[in-house]
Amino acid sequence: MSPSLAPADVGRRVGRDVQRALRRGRNGLRYAAGTRPTEVGQTPKDLIWRRHRTELWRYRNDDVRHGPPVVIVHSLVSRSYVLDLYPGNSAIAFLLGSGLDVFLLDWGIADEADSGNTLETYVDEGIPDAVAAACEAAGSDEVTLFGYCFGGVLSLLSAARHPELPIRNLVLMATPVDFTGMDAITALVARGRLNPDEILEPTGNVPAKAVASVFKLLKPTAEISQYATLWEKLPSDAFMQGYQAMGQWASDHVPFPGAAFRQTIEQLVRRNGLMHGTVELGGERVDLGAITCPVLNIMAERDHIVPLAAAEPVVELVGSEQADELRLNAGHVGLVAGSSAAKVTLPGIAGWIADHSVPA
Amino acid sequence: MADKPIWRQAFDAVDRRVAGPVEAGARSDVFSDLIALNLRVARRTQREIERRTRRALHLANLPTATDVRRLSEQVAALQRDLRELEDEQRR
Repeated sequence: MSPSLAPADVGRRVGRDVQRALRRGRNGLRYAAGTRPTEVGQTPKDLIWRRHRTELWRYRNDDVRHGPPVVIVHSLVSRSYVLDLYPGNSAIAFLLGSGLDVFLLDWGIADEADSGNTLETYVDEGIPDAVAAACEAAGSDEVTLFGYCFGGVLSLLSAARHPELPIRNLVLMATPVDFTGMDAITALVARGRLNPDEILEPTGNVPAKAVASVFKLLKPTAEISQYATLWEKLPSDAFMQGYQAMGQWASDHVPFPGAAFRQTIEQLVRRNGLMHGTVELGGERVDLGAITCPVLNIMAERDHIVPLAAAEPVVELVGSEQADELRLNAGHVGLVAGSSAAKVTLPGIAGWIADHSVPA
Repeated sequence: MADKPIWRQAFDAVDRRVAGPVEAGARSDVFSDLIALNLRVARRTQREIERRTRRALHLANLPTATDVRRLSEQVAALQRDLRELEDEQRR
């Protein structure tokens, strides 16, 4: 149908286009000047426990309906505010709204003093101490441990090495266990092209920019597509808020502590130790079969960072009688952020946790 | 799709054709070899530049990157000692 040429209709269309152009110009200027960055991580929280750079936060919630508390373990290579981007786009806020008592274990930004941190630092010290602190703060005997990405690997290792930990449920989201399925990320180090030490900077850590570059290489044209989307949606204030927050997070990686990186490459990547049961921490073999609590393995079908093939075997490796899978139509970040997270992924996750909890 | 402007539809069509081969290229052995080589050459070049400028900077009584790095290592070592003390006290 051709558009109406009645003067009133033409006037309305011109007015709408002018408004759109003005909003595009205004948002474009704001974006270029960086005058209105989106404020991230706004959900009110309290610091419960701290050790060196590691902090455990408890998010305020007056309407806790399910127990035990959920302790989220974040990754070592990215900032945890992806879980709490801004009001209306916050996985944390969604879980709080679902009646859960939410804690977040944030590892901070590693510097030279952290370069000696090994996997044991996180698995044997950080997570067990944080679980104890969360139990004490919530007055609970147990927790639901929830690991995201590499935080999931740390949670798996910690639960396996410490069967005495009071873990009622273990939730793993986008957690790689079969590192042959991570070839796109590990190609440089997996087959000995580079030794881990060649990637470390003088601080002894993997520099944040190297971490960012690896992620960019997975989808080299993504940045151009994002600029096209930015131009298309520039007039939308809501889009700009999300775009700026995600853009900030995507370029805000953190250094990976060198000692833990060496272990990760040698044990998890080169020997694929989680699959073959050869991971050794503190001189002892780690047996994932020692995990017997209910496990939920959440995977994203369009995850280009941790593909399905890398995350799928979790349920076969743990010793739990109840090991469930949740496959979601999302990407790696889309599991926790964006409009599809609130509609598709988070309700499924919160529902499983609630079903495996008790009334608070 | 119908809501998208024509320029975006054209862009997406090109992107669909280009993205796959570019991603495959970025995951190829040749590309990984080139990145590894580039990293090694960059490191070697940086070391060489530092070695050559060190003498000149020291003659002018100016600190070099190596001096700053050593200081920073010492600060980090001190920080680690403090942490150990903190941990011992906590126990």
